[in-house]
Amino acid sequence: MPFITTRKNKTPLGIYVHVPFCRSKCQYCDFYSLTAKDDKLMDGYLNAIIAHIKESGALAPAYKVDTIYFGGGTPSFFGADGLATILSAIRRNFDVDYNAEITFEANPDSVSDTLLKRLKAEGFNRVSLGIQCADDEILKKIGRPHNYQQAVSAVQRIRKAGFKNLSVDLIYGLPGQTMVGWRETLESVLNLNPEHISCYGLKVEEGTPLYEYKDFCSLPSDDTQADMYLAACEMLRSYGFRQYEISNFARKGLYSRHNMKYWTGGEYLGFGPNASSDFAGKRFTIVRDLQGYIQGIRGNGEVLQEIDEIPLRERAGEYLMLRLRTMSGISRAEYEKAYLLPFDDIEASLEKSRSFGHAVKTDDGRWHLTPKGFLISNTIISDLLLIQDRSVQLQRFGK
Amino acid sequence: MTDLSHIRNFSIIAHIDHGKSTLADRLLEECNAIEKREMEEQILDSMDLERERGITIKATAATLNYKADDGETYALNLIDTPGHVDFNYEVSRSLAACEGAVLVVDASQGVEAQTLANTFLATDAGLEVLPVINKIDLPSARPAEVKAEIEDIICIPAEDAPEISAKNGINIHAVLEMIVNGIPAPEGDRNAPLQALIFDSQYDSYRGVIVYTRIKQGTVRPGMDVKMMATGAVYKVVEVGTMSPKGLIPRDALGAGEVGYITASIKTISDTQVGDTITGVENPAAEPLPGYRPVQPMVYSGIYPADGAKYQDLRDALEKLKLNDASFVYEPESSIALGFGFRCGFLGLLHMEIIQERLEREYNLDLITTAPNVVYRVTKQNGETIMVDNPLDYPDPMEIELAEEPYVKVNLMAPQEYVGNIMDLATNRRGEFKDMVYLDANRVELHYDMPLNEIIYDFFDALKSRTRGYGSLDYELIGYRPSRLVKLDILLNGDIVDALSFILFADNAYPRARKICEKLKENIPRAQFEIPVQAAIGGKIIARETIKAVRKDVLAKCYGGDITRKKKLLEKQKEGKKRMRTFGTVSVPSEAFMAVLKLDED
Repeated sequence: MPFITTRKNKTPLGIYVHVPFCRSKCQYCDFYSLTAKDDKLMDGYLNAIIAHIKESGALAPAYKVDTIYFGGGTPSFFGADGLATILSAIRRNFDVDYNAEITFEANPDSVSDTLLKRLKAEGFNRVSLGIQCADDEILKKIGRPHNYQQAVSAVQRIRKAGFKNLSVDLIYGLPGQTMVGWRETLESVLNLNPEHISCYGLKVEEGTPLYEYKDFCSLPSDDTQADMYLAACEMLRSYGFRQYEISNFARKGLYSRHNMKYWTGGEYLGFGPNASSDFAGKRFTIVRDLQGYIQGIRGNGEVLQEIDEIPLRERAGEYLMLRLRTMSGISRAEYEKAYLLPFDDIEASLEKSRSFGHAVKTDDGRWHLTPKGFLISNTIISDLLLIQDRSVQLQRFGK
Repeated sequence: MTDLSHIRNFSIIAHIDHGKSTLADRLLEECNAIEKREMEEQILDSMDLERERGITIKATAATLNYKADDGETYALNLIDTPGHVDFNYEVSRSLAACEGAVLVVDASQGVEAQTLANTFLATDAGLEVLPVINKIDLPSARPAEVKAEIEDIICIPAEDAPEISAKNGINIHAVLEMIVNGIPAPEGDRNAPLQALIFDSQYDSYRGVIVYTRIKQGTVRPGMDVKMMATGAVYKVVEVGTMSPKGLIPRDALGAGEVGYITASIKTISDTQVGDTITGVENPAAEPLPGYRPVQPMVYSGIYPADGAKYQDLRDALEKLKLNDASFVYEPESSIALGFGFRCGFLGLLHMEIIQERLEREYNLDLITTAPNVVYRVTKQNGETIMVDNPLDYPDPMEIELAEEPYVKVNLMAPQEYVGNIMDLATNRRGEFKDMVYLDANRVELHYDMPLNEIIYDFFDALKSRTRGYGSLDYELIGYRPSRLVKLDILLNGDIVDALSFILFADNAYPRARKICEKLKENIPRAQFEIPVQAAIGGKIIARETIKAVRKDVLAKCYGGDITRKKKLLEKQKEGKKRMRTFGTVSVPSEAFMAVLKLDED
């Protein structure tokens, strides 16, 4: 596994902290977050999460934390003090690698110089800035609490504070967005020289405000979204970015080590409401309700809403589903060794995808998808899952 | 045995949704045949499918002991009948077991198509028809007008028809009194040679076939040797008795006029055909009761397991269904595209849908059903005549001397304002107009000769929609007529899918081919590559559609919190593919086969 470093034989661990507070709710967002500025609630959250970290740290002595990620919500909106307090709680209760990647998500409207300076001093070394789009009209339409000029100045301040690893989030397929507009966004953002860019196709989720008026806000068609995606892949490549996952692009070596764990079967622990973990063979998610979380940590009620023990045969499916999101892809050797399943039929199917230009076999025998293949990766992966199912059946029951 | 004068045999007839089964429920309750706490809706419709669709598929019967106002106790035999044209013959046999029928008419809807059709079936069978006005408690009820309608249109007196609400149990007593006083007692000689009419049968794993019967003449007792007059099968009677919703009640004997059941360790249900007459081996009746018709499947189609490994399960399920349904036939067949399956014969399209749905629900099978077809008669150049019930067996055009298809005589009935619509429909379906009769000032009956093939698909639905539900239909086979037939093949990505081939009238080939290609295009999911869908006669392509390659099918975001959800999504997608059949390079979901069957939503 080329992306993960281990030290002193301890197992690497990622930590995710969900910070469920925002200045305002964006029209498309279905993450768990609250918009009321309620000091009591924020204190309750902070106390709960610190108690939770303390309790969990005792369970993970054999782990070394090499990535920490503060997502949200808007961590920068929560404030430097809170973030610093949580980070030091993590350091106190877990064995955190000196070289750990420590990221916080930020919005352009809530990154003051003071905040940046403080977080840099605390050891944060990566910023993920939600810019989304360079067109102010669209930003306003989708309910972002900032304009593009604020994003530009945020980047300057982030650099001034000394952060050398900056990621920028963009969305394509936004209401009213055209191919030309999307290219302009990409160009503008490339001029800001980030180390990392994530480009997400807009997905209109049920329950979001956008869902209610999705038919009346000139959303680009699926075909246009597909074209936008391919254009981004091509343009970022020509600017020297490497696409290492369906939606993620980075300068050499500067991929998100934390996010990579999600796709390569790494272990991670999540804290805060609605955070998910994959730890010691189980995948579990915390309740999507801050009050419930606070009460649960105090011992009144459930903290987890979902616990799945993942058997090896399901891991085999996850291997295909998650690894094929990445450019490092899958290999016969890994697959056959880890899951004791035959790779022949999987390979035959990938060969077929290759004939359509959707997959590539590298010189060292690994298979990965092309940008065109990524675009239809569900189709390709569900085919492979079906093939895998049949091979499991065959193994179990014979012909 | 109950004295003849204290027996009433009746059925309840109604337009769909006018409250037939609800009234049956209330009658059972009122006579304490069933406790209130055991009551569930549509109690006589024991199949889930019947309750759900609100239809009655199988005939059932129950005996109610009713203490009437005159102080006497009567045995009221209620025979519930199926209500669809596919089962017209079965209905006619159930009605032949009765002396009267309670006609339920909705107080706000008034007289509708099936009210007419069913009343005519009943009066044809010589039954006394007694109307009741139901749903009287609805605000929109207009009992007086509806009564007038009944008198005007159906020409039966309705002045004294009870006004009831079956749902809320209003005035049910009046219905029972009406049955006792209005329906004639049965006639018959209990010492005469036995003549018992079979109106249904059902398989029970402990007793064998349970035959539901109406004794017309004579008496039947356990130990007696009996013979089925049409099939010739001979059995020794084990038990006789009457039916109640709670189960069977054994009795010493059943005599003329009574309705009940007979068991005789009968293993094969096909020995007990609906409409057949049971008589004694000693002292047999001189002739059977009139009206018997051997079962003849009208429609055939292939049924295959969606998952080839489930073939054995499908076979077991068909065997079990067959035990309860003498009108259903099947035999094994195989297709290149679908593997091993069965060629099945049905009474009609509803019958086919019901069998299919029962297989899927009660036996938990995923099925692929091929387009239904009738039985064609082909005379080859070498003089040999073959019956073709499977398109795959259709001979090469070069070998065919004469191709014939079955024709039916169709009776269509509707209010006169729909005559134009009906004529259009019948002409479109190759109907040959025979004549038109005014039944009264408003109602018209039209007669057509029509290829059976034209009515098996969706003629009934088309008729209903063109007559706002008022049209009704009946048909009977009149024989074979020469026809210009062709076999249409469907190609996916260049390969013929044999299971999609079918035979049709040459002039219909082009429009139908186009529609099929369109339907397949809608129902076959996009793949990584473009898929041509073509229809061909012989080697000639006559229609084509293209299923474009999928362009975008991706989960843009997949981080820690998304994995479980996205895994489910992909699982679902995978499960969907599992239910598809792969033909060459193309995966086809079973819905695509069904969609091809339903082409006529213009």
